[in-house]
Amino acid sequence: MNERKGSVFDGIAADNPVLSGLMVISPVIICGDTIKNAQALIWAFSVITFLSVLISSFVPKELPYTLRVMTCALISSTIYVPVRAAAEEVYPDAIARIGIYFPLLAVNSLIVFQSETRFFRMGRLRMTASLFFYILGFDLVMLITAVIRELLAYGTINSRIADVDVLISGLGEPFGGFIFLGLMCGLYRKLRISLKSSRSAEKGDMNVSGK
Amino acid sequence: MYLVNDIIAFLAANLILSQALGTSSLFIAAQSRKNLTGIAFCIMLFTTFGTGCAYIVDSVLPFGASEFRLLLYTAAVSVFYILLLVLLYFARPGDYAQLRKYVHLSAFNCAVMGTLFTMSGKAEEDSSLMSFGEYVRFGFEAGLGFIAAALILTAAYRRLNSSKVPQSFRGGPAMLIYIGIISMAVWSLK
Repeated sequence: MNERKGSVFDGIAADNPVLSGLMVISPVIICGDTIKNAQALIWAFSVITFLSVLISSFVPKELPYTLRVMTCALISSTIYVPVRAAAEEVYPDAIARIGIYFPLLAVNSLIVFQSETRFFRMGRLRMTASLFFYILGFDLVMLITAVIRELLAYGTINSRIADVDVLISGLGEPFGGFIFLGLMCGLYRKLRISLKSSRSAEKGDMNVSGK
Repeated sequence: MYLVNDIIAFLAANLILSQALGTSSLFIAAQSRKNLTGIAFCIMLFTTFGTGCAYIVDSVLPFGASEFRLLLYTAAVSVFYILLLVLLYFARPGDYAQLRKYVHLSAFNCAVMGTLFTMSGKAEEDSSLMSFGEYVRFGFEAGLGFIAAALILTAAYRRLNSSKVPQSFRGGPAMLIYIGIISMAVWSLK
């Protein structure tokens, strides 16, 4: 695992922003119950986060922390304006369904706080690549959550009826979102721990055979 | 009976349990009593002041310009962010380094921004709520709701982080499931 630390791909699996960092979880819990919601959120999150962090990286590091954070928040809030206007064209129904979680994407902790500790310490090219994979990590979790919750809660996939015998309607509620995300985080950690122990066992075997 | 109804209504309106707003901050607040006091107090200040500013923004914002609401809310919270830090610097110079981290954590938090948007949405639906007093009251109650949720989580924090919980579920995952169960209980009371 140590070899993979600091890799630009960390955002997808090794340090997933949702499953590992528990960041930007509100939209996943509340709006991640249908694929249509997920599509609109993924689009808005990806565009707002990518542009905001990229533009914010030009904010002088000599400025006090408070001013830098404020500037990041104001930049992302400004980027939200055209993104929202575009979303009304592309996803006209989604805005009403997603409600307050749409503007909240623009002040997510990945942009406002984590950019300081994660991205702004890297070179610009590496930062762009790493940021891309962190966004992809969020997008994947959002999509997986939406597919499973929509299927099990409503018996549909992207609003098309699927052949499901048992429906768990609670999965479409906020508490279902909390519990489902908790289970996903646990499963994700379990996989990471298993992978880590199997790798260290492999290393141990190689050392023994090397002797 | 009225008191029970009031408690149920208060819990049902809780922005964390019903809307998952500020969950990440809640996890940090629940870590210790010191964190709980600092973060909860700061969030309450931000929600109360923020809703006051949100009222002004909503009053002057022309119809059809709602996409600018976030920018104006962010600007208002930014002003309070600086004011609060300056106030702390002069009022508590000895504790400033310790206390400012709570202000940083609370400023652009989902719990704060979500409260402003939730109140704005409520006022759009019901024009009788479109008053400065109603906005500030809602902000204050949202802050109290955060404290209530943080206290509920603090009560179980140690157990959810203990070695008795399987390693893969210890901490965050267990806390999410715990909040989910509390949220389910509150949802069933509605």
